[in-house]
Amino acid sequence: MIAQVVLNGFVTGMIIALPAIALTLTYGILKFPNFAIGAMLTVGAYFAYIANAWLHLPLVWAAVLAAVALAITSVGVDRLVFQPLRERTAITLLVASMGVSFVLENVARFVLGNSARSFEVAIARPQRYFELRVNMEQIYTAATALSAMLAIYIILRHTALGRAMRAVSDNPALAAVRGIDRERIARWMWVIAGVLTAIAGVLAGLDRAIDPLLGWNYVVTVFAAAILGGLGNPFGAVLGALTLGVVEETSTLLIPPNYRQVVSFCAIAFLLLARPQGLLGSVRVKR
Amino acid sequence: MTPPLPVLSTAGVAAGYGAGDIIRDITIDVTPGEVFTVIGPNGSGKSTLIKVLAGLVRTRVGEIRLGAIRLTHLSAPQRVSTGVAYVPQEFNVFPNMTIGENLKVSTEFLGREQQATLEQRERVLAMFPEVAKRLKLRAGLLSGGQRQMLAFACAMMAAPKVLLLDEPSAGLSPKLVGEIFDKIETLNASGLTVFIIEQNVKEALRIGDRVMVLVNGSIRLMATPGEITAKHDLHKLFLG
Repeated sequence: MIAQVVLNGFVTGMIIALPAIALTLTYGILKFPNFAIGAMLTVGAYFAYIANAWLHLPLVWAAVLAAVALAITSVGVDRLVFQPLRERTAITLLVASMGVSFVLENVARFVLGNSARSFEVAIARPQRYFELRVNMEQIYTAATALSAMLAIYIILRHTALGRAMRAVSDNPALAAVRGIDRERIARWMWVIAGVLTAIAGVLAGLDRAIDPLLGWNYVVTVFAAAILGGLGNPFGAVLGALTLGVVEETSTLLIPPNYRQVVSFCAIAFLLLARPQGLLGSVRVKR
Repeated sequence: MTPPLPVLSTAGVAAGYGAGDIIRDITIDVTPGEVFTVIGPNGSGKSTLIKVLAGLVRTRVGEIRLGAIRLTHLSAPQRVSTGVAYVPQEFNVFPNMTIGENLKVSTEFLGREQQATLEQRERVLAMFPEVAKRLKLRAGLLSGGQRQMLAFACAMMAAPKVLLLDEPSAGLSPKLVGEIFDKIETLNASGLTVFIIEQNVKEALRIGDRVMVLVNGSIRLMATPGEITAKHDLHKLFLG
């Protein structure tokens, strides 16, 4: 029973990990918390729904189209909203992202209505491994999320773009005098964030119904995961997401499922009192 | 015979943060191969001046040129591509990256040919053997003097025409200060033009071909070290 709950929590954590990575990349490079991450997830799910249910594409191809569409949307939103405010405070950008969140959610509502929708996928019987019940959706989620995380790891550690992103995140002024244009890196960051969030939207849409409030189910947990892992650290975001996923699911053994998020926040509060920089964040020294 | 075009020049530059100007009416011509040092009391605008040259602070008035290239409206990354390399006083390496990654990231977005980059890397590693020995070490684990050498090496990866150094000896022991300035002399001996702002007046006068005294954001004096020590009371100059 506990093993089943831990497995379920792990898979939930993988869905959360992708937008948590996107959020932490945005924070690292542009230094503001993007509140629109939940709405972006919703829009990503809707893009995939349109490609799957209206254009009758297999879900894999629908996810690819959704990733491209949300990447373009993210770059466009940055150009229109965040770039003109680039030199403003993080609070200003946070409030702007709240506005973006409401606009994206209501555009989705205007185009597709409030009805709950779901992908057109074949229903498959759950598999059993060592007394554990594993749904096909969980297998797809785990494989997709792990592949995406591996791709992010390779990009950040072994490519010029990844090194530049780490440089800008660490010290934008030094990166500039080493020839790295922050705006160019920001555009690529939004592309990556859009792809990750769209994939998360598809995985979330497999887990529950797609409606305009889909992203709201995840936004607070995504923020919590990024903070828990250490804001600005993508690997910390993964660790935070998996931790929260497991904690939330295992808490349902003791308390009603409606209260599971409360348990997560209590765990975060305790951790941040003991280690405010998060699990993998570094202590910032004020000079 | 016409004099050579200055490698770095400013004409009537003024700049600052917020409402007022920190530096005003700065007109400099730095000749190729020169070591040009700027000294002055705290708050004189030295750091602002070098950040203006690097492109980190906008010029409000005036013009900056690198040879015949107008730099005034170029961003900091664009200036690196033209041949201006800047070493900040502090936070001048990426501590969470290895030494090798610090060197790589210094050229990857300059649009240079890979072969030229590899050749420059070999030259830099030969110039900085202490850096070459530890490519896989995280830069954050280096001592202050080692970080400074790495910062120089990263700047040199761009094969600059002018090297801007912001107080290279700050916070270092006397022994390390000697090593840093020896390295600067070695780089200059290869033909590199060096523009230094420095609090260490003794070293600035020793190493400079010309010295500029900046006080309250304006040029108070520009002369050779010999002329300054022979004819001027620096104490009086600094206090205005």
